[in-house]
Amino acid sequence: MPSVHFEHVSKRFGATTVVEDFNLDVAEGELLVLVGGSGSGKTTILRMLAGLEEVTEGRIRIDDRDVTALAPRDRDVAMVFQDYGLYPHMTVRENLSLGLRLRKVARTEIERRVTWAADMLQLEPLLDRKPKQLSGGQQQRVAMGRAMVREPLVFLFDEPLSNLDAGLRAQMRIEIGGLQRRLKTTTVYVTHDQVEAMTLGDRIVVLADGRIQQVGRPIDLYRAPVNRFVAGFVGTPPMNFVEGRITGENGGAQFNADGMRFDMLPGRMPTTMPSGPVTLGIRPEDMEVDPQSDGPRNGSVAGRVVLVERLGGTSHVHFDAGPNRMLASVTNERLPAVGDAIDVRINGERAHLFVDDQRVSSAS
Amino acid sequence: MRTLRRIGLYTGLAIAALTFIYPFLWMASATFKPLSEVGTLALFPTHATLDNYKTMWARAPFGRALINSLLVATTITIAVLVFGSITAYAMARLRFKGRPALNAATMGVLLVPGQLTLIPLYTLIVQLGWIDTYAALIIPYLFNATAILMMRQFFLQIPQSLIDSARMDGMGELRILFTIFWPLSKPVLSIVAIFTFMGSWNEVLWPLLVVREQHLMTLPQLLTVFSLGGGAGSIGVSLASAMVLVVPVVIAYAFLQRNFIESMAGSGVKG
Repeated sequence: MPSVHFEHVSKRFGATTVVEDFNLDVAEGELLVLVGGSGSGKTTILRMLAGLEEVTEGRIRIDDRDVTALAPRDRDVAMVFQDYGLYPHMTVRENLSLGLRLRKVARTEIERRVTWAADMLQLEPLLDRKPKQLSGGQQQRVAMGRAMVREPLVFLFDEPLSNLDAGLRAQMRIEIGGLQRRLKTTTVYVTHDQVEAMTLGDRIVVLADGRIQQVGRPIDLYRAPVNRFVAGFVGTPPMNFVEGRITGENGGAQFNADGMRFDMLPGRMPTTMPSGPVTLGIRPEDMEVDPQSDGPRNGSVAGRVVLVERLGGTSHVHFDAGPNRMLASVTNERLPAVGDAIDVRINGERAHLFVDDQRVSSAS
Repeated sequence: MRTLRRIGLYTGLAIAALTFIYPFLWMASATFKPLSEVGTLALFPTHATLDNYKTMWARAPFGRALINSLLVATTITIAVLVFGSITAYAMARLRFKGRPALNAATMGVLLVPGQLTLIPLYTLIVQLGWIDTYAALIIPYLFNATAILMMRQFFLQIPQSLIDSARMDGMGELRILFTIFWPLSKPVLSIVAIFTFMGSWNEVLWPLLVVREQHLMTLPQLLTVFSLGGGAGSIGVSLASAMVLVVPVVIAYAFLQRNFIESMAGSGVKG
């Protein structure tokens, strides 16, 4: 399986820059996820790799072959689209085989590959139906089958699950992951859903405004986000951010905000003490809620509960600490009631400090 | 009460339908009536006869005119569909320099009434030496702005992912148009086909200007010359020749009716 390389790739539509100096190497057999909000340029990057969008500047290589100027059909990549892109007037079988017929693949070989894909995706009973007669999940499978039968060098997925309901989405996510591991085809997968990214990706690329924010394994992005954007984007529910300042007192560093004081652990501090405004980042799962407040203690903040969401296993406790609305994710049986004064203990080992939106905590 | 209202409704609709269909049925039956009966309003001739058709056929080359009309209308219809859809596809789905200008120009053509271009066009045909040729009848009609805009509007609704899929599957643009867009655009293609065919079929003024040779005349042209020139001699014969003009359009409509109505009801691409 080949590797994919983006070298200084930019894309402009008129005066608007959509992707700026994008550099990335996708390893052989890797499942790489591009994730970002709308307008982040993730789909444009995928479409440039597919050949559906021209590259304004830079180069795209698949292994050593420069594909920048090649037509989509000459790149040997296959793509699964968000709305599947199945031909409505053709049967499933015709949809699967069309790409091969156009490439003049022998009839017996087409038959073999269609049977293989249909078998793998449980599509045999559906082969003679039209897309309209299939459910969303089945259409999704046909779209994947169409990519598979091509036996391409690279698979591209453009938000393939966003048209499915939640249950089906989780199931198809598992199927796609399993399929990719079995076929070991180099894959670039675009999504706006960070849960999809975290669960599927060997590595994740977080994009904002056409620029890479961070590239890394899912757990690295979660534990050591390089900036506030990544910290806020990765993880559900999102990280809490509190604006404040660092002061040095009693020989240690202390984070001070309106209604909140918090001793920073030495390992979570940068080597030079930040003098201006800083942001403290705490994930909801790195807080413990004590339903009874016995006054502020070290490493804890006092809060007042404004909302409790019971999700079954875990619950989300929304509380106000001074002017800051925060969210703690707890697994306690004992939950506070709305309006209760609570004591929230912050896991100092997991606190992140940001200066100018860049993470400055030294350890992860 | 509901049944009563329904009966009232259907009676009203039946009367309306009758007022539309009666003149046509009367005309159809009149062609089979002998001269003495033509003046009556009865729908069924008491002494049915084919004399009107025989007279008509004997007096002017209607067979030849029928072939001319079929040739001209079919060629124009095919050309409008093929060239028009190619243009519409480019305007709807391709990005190129001058596309807005092309859109504006096509729209602009719609604003110019045909009567205004009649004389310049005639002069052009004379200059080209195309008077009394099929070229004069066919070539000015090969492109049609209305058809292009109708198809463009329809093509805009087809999902981009179908084009993308087709390109990834290895299709070129023409193949995408004819193997993906055409099958999905049957409603608009049928309506364009019917309108173009009928428009060309019924055209009298233009053929009258550019064709004088009887063997090149189209059916409505020959019919006009024949009836106005007094060649018909009787109203029965005139009506018989009008019948020959109408029947092919009715047949074409019957074939494309399903798509035609679908298109009029404004259906789009689903799935």
